[in-house]
Amino acid sequence: MNFELTEEQNLIREMVRGFAEAEVAPSATQRDEDEHFDRDLMFARLADLGLTGIVFPEEYGGAGADYLSYAIAVEELSRVCASTGVTLSAHLSLGSNPIYLFGTERQKKQFLTPLAQGEAMGAFGLTEPSAGSDAGGTRTFAVRDGNDWIVNGSKIFITNAGEAEIYVIFARTDKAAEKHHGISAFIVEKGTPGFTFGKKEKKMGIRSSPTMELVFENCRIPHENMLGEEGKGFKVAMKTLDGGRIGIASQALGIAQGALDATTTYVKERQQFNKPLNAFQGVQFQLADMATQVEAARLLVYNAAYRASAGLSYSQESAMAKLFASETAMRVTTQAVQLHGGYGYTREFPVERMMRDAKITEIYEGTSEIQRIVIGAALTR
Amino acid sequence: MKLLVCIKQVPDMESKFKVGAEGLWYDRHDLAWLMNEYDEYGVEQAVQLKEQTGADLTVLSIGPEQVKETIKKALAMGCDRGVHIVDDQAHLKDPFEIASMIAEFAGDKGFDLIFTGMQSQDRGSAQVGVMVAELLTIAAVTTVVDFAFVDGQVTVKRELEGGVKAKVASKLPVLITCQLGLNAPRYPTLPNIMKAKKKEMLSLPATDLRKAAALQETMKIEFPAKRSGGLFLEGEVASIADRLIRILKEKTTVLA
Repeated sequence: MNFELTEEQNLIREMVRGFAEAEVAPSATQRDEDEHFDRDLMFARLADLGLTGIVFPEEYGGAGADYLSYAIAVEELSRVCASTGVTLSAHLSLGSNPIYLFGTERQKKQFLTPLAQGEAMGAFGLTEPSAGSDAGGTRTFAVRDGNDWIVNGSKIFITNAGEAEIYVIFARTDKAAEKHHGISAFIVEKGTPGFTFGKKEKKMGIRSSPTMELVFENCRIPHENMLGEEGKGFKVAMKTLDGGRIGIASQALGIAQGALDATTTYVKERQQFNKPLNAFQGVQFQLADMATQVEAARLLVYNAAYRASAGLSYSQESAMAKLFASETAMRVTTQAVQLHGGYGYTREFPVERMMRDAKITEIYEGTSEIQRIVIGAALTR
Repeated sequence: MKLLVCIKQVPDMESKFKVGAEGLWYDRHDLAWLMNEYDEYGVEQAVQLKEQTGADLTVLSIGPEQVKETIKKALAMGCDRGVHIVDDQAHLKDPFEIASMIAEFAGDKGFDLIFTGMQSQDRGSAQVGVMVAELLTIAAVTTVVDFAFVDGQVTVKRELEGGVKAKVASKLPVLITCQLGLNAPRYPTLPNIMKAKKKEMLSLPATDLRKAAALQETMKIEFPAKRSGGLFLEGEVASIADRLIRILKEKTTVLA
């Protein structure tokens, strides 16, 4: 068993950290304040650095790196800006990966290549007002008409919506089928007639990442854009979310590490009772607990990423990683605010943003409760 | 045209340093390692020149196995091949010994341009580059902040005291030592990091090179004594101001 990163993985971390600290961090607070998605910075620059297609083979415009490299990249971006981290995660894990996993050769050439090269941004539409954790509640319908499918319905809480050019969406193609049967996946491009965007969500955290509603009104999608087999969309969604959890777990890990780093610096500078905060053993104990939890989360996340690249099963491991890392992010950021005291509650310091950003990691791409269901079901199968 | 860039792996300067057991250098354990900042300017300039002219670019570093990672970074930034002179004791060698190894490697290769950092961030002797040039009997231009290559001639700006710059022209071959401000080193992109492992990497044991005798010896390294606390001026405002002005005039150059 080897816990050491490879030279390539170390260099990738150094490169992404250098970029994140020099270019992403300076505007993170203002972008959060303004709910501003800066596409040049948060996507085009990532494409310049070859981050938009990390795990895909070179023949499809990717970098041919492993999932651990991807996890490290999302971690390092999220350490300074969780919104930038989720932009990459939603683009790569959710928007692009299902096309890589289930796409035909033509679909990969047409859609995956521009996604991997960062010429197009990806997004994923599964959640609906009546279908969140329960994908079986899908009320978006697709009806066959010659060589097309006519789609009607809507999707909510879609990360990268409005900005992305390519969407993987799910619709019920068999009205008679129940629950998660009879759902199919489709690739739909921005600008397709009948495909529009609804309201932009005003969120607690990850405020510089756009979240919008997708609206389909008699939207014609050619049959050749169906992704995977007809009626087998649920499998596409579940496989995609297995990988997506690694992205969100990495995001949560990065948020937690960022809060820990900010706090470690702060307690050495802040004086109370004529000594720096870190001179108090109670403070040291809290920092020790935070650091230990972050390190445990890191090992779970890296293990899940390693298994994904090694071709081993990783559904349960990625659920554990996502569950533990997201709950760690919430605990550690809350403690970081506490250790910053009154300053931590103000927007002068980054930890309150990190605490708001952390919360979503316990909710999206499978809530903590859903992760426990996945893990529990695997244990008792 | 053939280019060489010499780089050194140094600790992240944010690290917590300890004096090593022999008291001759810092303890190398538990440090994060990076490319010497000044060498990054050298790599960037060499890669730009390669892009301009199609020149062949070799990157060289001396040190233990771990310096390969820094060589790979230079390969990912655009160098064509790496040369690793394997030497676990490189950190204890003096500038002349290091320069001698580089000069011996470079001696018969016919490099037209050699780039080095102005100095290393850890030892900071600023001697290796100029010594290499001397040993190879080629010109050296130091502390370069601007570089151009036109019609087979190098024109650079050197940084002098007080922000003054000198413009210097040189024919090839020449060695350039690179200073902060020369350029903004590129990030090695992720695909280039992946491709770097396929590039040629030559390992050369230091023992295969002729050993030069050290010209200087580090006798001891130590942390500076803890500075005394600041000076508190107390009393009437007017008197404090007078004393402050006197101190600033006598002890500093803030007031002429």
